[in-house]
Amino acid sequence: MTDFKYESRFEYDANNPFGHMQEEFPDESEFDVTIIGGGPNGLIAAAYLARAGLRVALCERRFEVGGGLSTEENLFPCYSSNPHVLYHMMVDYMPAIRDFDLNAQALTWIKPNAQTGMVFEDGSSVLLAQQTNDTKDSISKFSFADAQTYGKVVRDWKRIVKDILGPATYLPPMPPIETTIAMERTALGRKMLEIGEATPLEIINETFEHEKVRTLMLYASCMWGLDPRESGLGFMVPLLLDRTVNKCYCYGGSHKFAGALAREVVKGGGLILEAAAVDKILLENGRAAGVQLAHEGRVLRSKVVMSTLDPETTFLDLVGREHLPSQLTEDVEGWAWDKWSFNTLHIATDEPPHYACDDPWIDKSFATVVGIESVDQLLAHWDNVIDGKLDLNSFGGHSTCESLFDPTLSDQPGKYVSMYQIHAPYDLEGGWLNRRAEVEAAMLANWRKAAPNINPDTIISTSMEDPEEIQIRFPQMRRGSIKHGDYTPLQMGCFRPNQDCSETNTPIEGLYTCGASTFPGGLVLGGPGYLGANKVADDLGVKRWWKPTPEMERYIKDYLEE
Amino acid sequence: MAKDERFDVVIIGGGPNGMASAAYLAKSGLSVCVLEERTESGGACETQEPIPGVRIYPHAMLMYASAAPGFEQLELHKFGFRMEWDPVSPLEMNQGGLACRDGWRQITETDQIGWAKIGGMLGQPPFTRELMRAAFYCPPHPPEVEVTDENTPYMQVYKKHQPDIWTPELRDMTMFDLMDEHLETEHFKTAMAFAAWASGAAGHWEGVAIPAALCVQLLTLPSMGRTSIPRGGLHGYFHAILRAAVHHGATLRTSCPVEEILVEDGRAVGVRLRDTAVTGGRTIHANKAVIAACDVHQAFLDMVGPRHLDPAVIQKLKDISLKNQTLYVSTFHTKTPIRFNETFATNAHHTKYVGPHRQPAAGVFPCDSRELYYACVADVDGHKAQPRVPVEDVMWFQTPSQAFDPTDCQGEYPRGYISSAFEMAVTSPDYHLEGEDALLGYKSDMDRYMRDAYSQVYDGLDDDNVIHHWSATGREVEFRNTGLIGGTWCGSRHDEDQLWTNRPIPELSRYRSPIEGLYHAHQTSGHPGGLCLMAIPYNLMHILIEDGVADPGDWWYASPYYMPQEGKIPANRR
Ligand SMILES: Cc1cc2nc3c(=O)[nH]c(=O)nc-3n(C[C@H](O)[C@H](O)[C@H](O)COP(=O)(O)OP(=O)(O)OC[C@H]3O[C@@H](n4cnc5c(N)ncnc54)[C@H](O)[C@@H]3O)c2cc1C
Ligand SMILES: Cc1cc2nc3c(=O)[nH]c(=O)nc-3n(C[C@H](O)[C@H](O)[C@H](O)COP(=O)(O)OP(=O)(O)OC[C@H]3O[C@@H](n4cnc5c(N)ncnc54)[C@H](O)[C@@H]3O)c2cc1C
Repeated sequence: MTDFKYESRFEYDANNPFGHMQEEFPDESEFDVTIIGGGPNGLIAAAYLARAGLRVALCERRFEVGGGLSTEENLFPCYSSNPHVLYHMMVDYMPAIRDFDLNAQALTWIKPNAQTGMVFEDGSSVLLAQQTNDTKDSISKFSFADAQTYGKVVRDWKRIVKDILGPATYLPPMPPIETTIAMERTALGRKMLEIGEATPLEIINETFEHEKVRTLMLYASCMWGLDPRESGLGFMVPLLLDRTVNKCYCYGGSHKFAGALAREVVKGGGLILEAAAVDKILLENGRAAGVQLAHEGRVLRSKVVMSTLDPETTFLDLVGREHLPSQLTEDVEGWAWDKWSFNTLHIATDEPPHYACDDPWIDKSFATVVGIESVDQLLAHWDNVIDGKLDLNSFGGHSTCESLFDPTLSDQPGKYVSMYQIHAPYDLEGGWLNRRAEVEAAMLANWRKAAPNINPDTIISTSMEDPEEIQIRFPQMRRGSIKHGDYTPLQMGCFRPNQDCSETNTPIEGLYTCGASTFPGGLVLGGPGYLGANKVADDLGVKRWWKPTPEMERYIKDYLEE
Repeated sequence: MAKDERFDVVIIGGGPNGMASAAYLAKSGLSVCVLEERTESGGACETQEPIPGVRIYPHAMLMYASAAPGFEQLELHKFGFRMEWDPVSPLEMNQGGLACRDGWRQITETDQIGWAKIGGMLGQPPFTRELMRAAFYCPPHPPEVEVTDENTPYMQVYKKHQPDIWTPELRDMTMFDLMDEHLETEHFKTAMAFAAWASGAAGHWEGVAIPAALCVQLLTLPSMGRTSIPRGGLHGYFHAILRAAVHHGATLRTSCPVEEILVEDGRAVGVRLRDTAVTGGRTIHANKAVIAACDVHQAFLDMVGPRHLDPAVIQKLKDISLKNQTLYVSTFHTKTPIRFNETFATNAHHTKYVGPHRQPAAGVFPCDSRELYYACVADVDGHKAQPRVPVEDVMWFQTPSQAFDPTDCQGEYPRGYISSAFEMAVTSPDYHLEGEDALLGYKSDMDRYMRDAYSQVYDGLDDDNVIHHWSATGREVEFRNTGLIGGTWCGSRHDEDQLWTNRPIPELSRYRSPIEGLYHAHQTSGHPGGLCLMAIPYNLMHILIEDGVADPGDWWYASPYYMPQEGKIPANRR
């Protein structure tokens, strides 16, 4: 039974014409753990802890759990798409998928071989494929040397991800000095440390010689928000490039992943409340004691509160400045939001986009980058965005025809849903509301240049979500921050969100943070929620029913054990 | 995914009826698998966010289910069920009157008392819940039992509690007949008849006076939930049902359309999925039962097919009348809030705008006389084409859903104003004289026609002020959700020929079918039909107990009006 403590005050009274006929969820109830936010991290934390026998309640502000894992009929009526998470980057490493056996239970992942292509104005293209030799074939059109190099570096990079970065995603962060000591143990570790020093731009330029190859590699490395010119996070280039060629699509839409996790929460005896926005984290004697729901005033008491929201919301809004140690307030106030956001155009069409280029595989590719011709143009575009500008004559982004992999998104048989996403500023010069139409037109024109059949004759409907709207949908993604906060060396590893909170526990006893703003960070890594669950299980003295994955065990043995 | 799957019960369709059936059966200890075609379960209980921060309810919005035993039996409160209660009492709302072409007309005390009496409010004690349970929450009597005034559940209730409503003619009446006897004003009767028509049983159909009136009563009576909506909309209510099912061990598979019901030796043994299913076109076996909780035509004509049914039954199935109208739902996104125009802004009550955006809610318009109602019915159900009724005469209604959900993020929506839903009845696509795709071709004409109709009451629906007009034709609704054949909200008519022991046809009336082990539980197929009532699943349970499929625990109680079938296990043995 969904197991929590409450006192039932309900009694049906036929004589009272204004009385209720059915019992409702109680105004006051008591749990072991309450979790704020039903995104991937909140769901994962709840699912682990519920199965561990704790009484768990998950509160989600929207009418549907999932957070970034959403699939919406945003081209209403009849066409759905994935407004946020579309590319699932860590399916092959995420412990939650294995521990709950989701692949056998509910989910089917589509992993196309043609992963990310880039098309150029002259009709040429480069394609990053899952199979290395397909990528090499494509690169060899421009530079045989680059093709050879790719073959070589990718072997190392894959191993770095498999042996180190993949498993380390799901283990608590270490201070830089400890990381260095651990990495020094192996040749592979030392290689990774070397890369770490360089900027993404340096790594790409040093590794590849051809402009077009460099352009695509740089795009793929930095599209999630790495600063191309910043050193200290170079080790993420191998990770992101390896993940770029291993992305998966969740058949039926990303929300299916959320649905599957939610069912695990409930199977384990956990409770999920939707349309339940938390507006206060309750404190008693300085420790977290539960949450209060906005609008309805319901109170859920608990020993532990886990927040998956951004630091500002969790600490300043929900706990309140007056209850924070000053160092924490300072850290939270210094939090840097994502340097850029996304602007996404969704369209329904009669035909899938057909790219006018030299490689038919581009049409089948999971993602296709359009509008970018060179490294310089790409850097200029990003610089513009950071400055709050968009040069509508020179910009680009990535597109995907989701219907190629998922016919269920279109209710009208034989029609297609696609999206085109560009990096965009939250504070656009002139304001989004004023410039939406202009930006949409420019994006369509830009897309059409690469795929001429995306034109008024084939377009059925369009729907654009701008960065302000990201924050309207999800207030925790402040300033359209898709990762709840930027990727900079001072906001990664044991500094995410700050040194006091990166292991998910916080200076406030009983309060934990385990969303995208906590190590290992944003995107659907399934890391913060998993680490939060580990920590809370240990702190509450509950036996973990799960074991580290084999990759994690190997990593622990090779790098961490005495 | 595992290769060969086997469950006690396989349920086709994850709408409210399929899912509540799953919850009942899983709670009874059976292994249950629900197969849903769409990527999200919920059927017509859905919420969409077409642009960030804006919620629309494309179909079900309002809570009619308050009397359901399911709340208690499935303990939905433990799975998060919460309701946002209308702070305004409907008696107070009634003071606002009804919208007619010349402005608001008052509802009289006679209207109010008569209406309250029909709904069981004036009994000592009030017997509203008992009445609702009698009408909706009792399986039809077995075929060997002749249906009489004495054994019809709602007749029993009136006889006991409100003998002046009970008359020997009651079961023959139309809702208008009943209202003419107990109510006073024409505008009130017209509004109620229209609401009944839109709820599946029309005001002018013989023999369904009480079911028709009670459908509307479910909405208008104070204790029935007061036109409230659950937190998170009806999708939120659905979630409580879903989670009860999952918690008790039911398996849900979304993106799993069923292609075929497998029949061996006259017995349903499982289903085969369509090739596009997330699991591929595999077979799922059922040890005890297959339950079709998707529309009755698809279930029997396509999934079972003529190989296993005799031609007479096939003909009857084809003739199940889905000729009910389609509700064309519109939601508007505007720059400034829509406001009552001069004629309607006069009423002090109605200018106390409701909802987070202080929006007005008109109710039904125009309610002047039953002649308008007749003209609309003749147009939609008779002519079966695009509307011929002049735009000033066409009847429509607007739901007040916005009033109830302050948690709704659009309460703080910074980019304009969202209206609550406007609904108009039009011919269903399957019977449209110009073909089933005709509605698509007329969409922009219809959008305009509807806006002109609504603009008789409101200012602000002009092109300059409207940013989005979300609407879905009945045809689009069929594509979106194959459960809504015809795009109607109740599937097939709630008329005498298709209700109670006749629903959908006498051969199928107790949720059984000519195929052993195959049951049905969809709004189009079972009594009492449409609305998210948790009634079909409760009623079906009686039959599954009779057949030895389910053996629920102490939490189960049967309808007091239930009559067991001879030779079966009685469902009320406890
Ligand atoms: C346009 C866009 C595209 C993206 N594409 C990808 C992609 O392709 N691949 C990828 O891996 N990632 C992608 N992301 C990033 C990804 O969505 C996030 O990093 C991820 O969802 C973070 O997960 P989370 O669980 O930490 O938080 P979230 O997913 O942000 O979930 C937090 C939840 O908390 C809820 N909430 C907020 N306030 C309250 C409150 N007061 N009370 C209760 N609940 C509350 C929210 O409604 C939300 O459901 C994208 C993001 C955006 C915006
Ligand atoms: C416009 C409109 C307004 C309404 N307003 C209200 C209201 O305010 N209040 C109220 O209570 N009710 C309302 N209703 C009615 C209510 O929504 C329905 O009566 C109710 O949803 C019926 O539930 P169901 O489970 O029988 O069928 P559905 O909700 O139709 O569910 C059937 C399910 O079966 C699935 N399915 C179909 N074919 C297959 C297949 N081959 N394989 C697998 N799955 C399949 C469908 O995808 C669907 O999910 C409204 C309906 C409409 C259309």
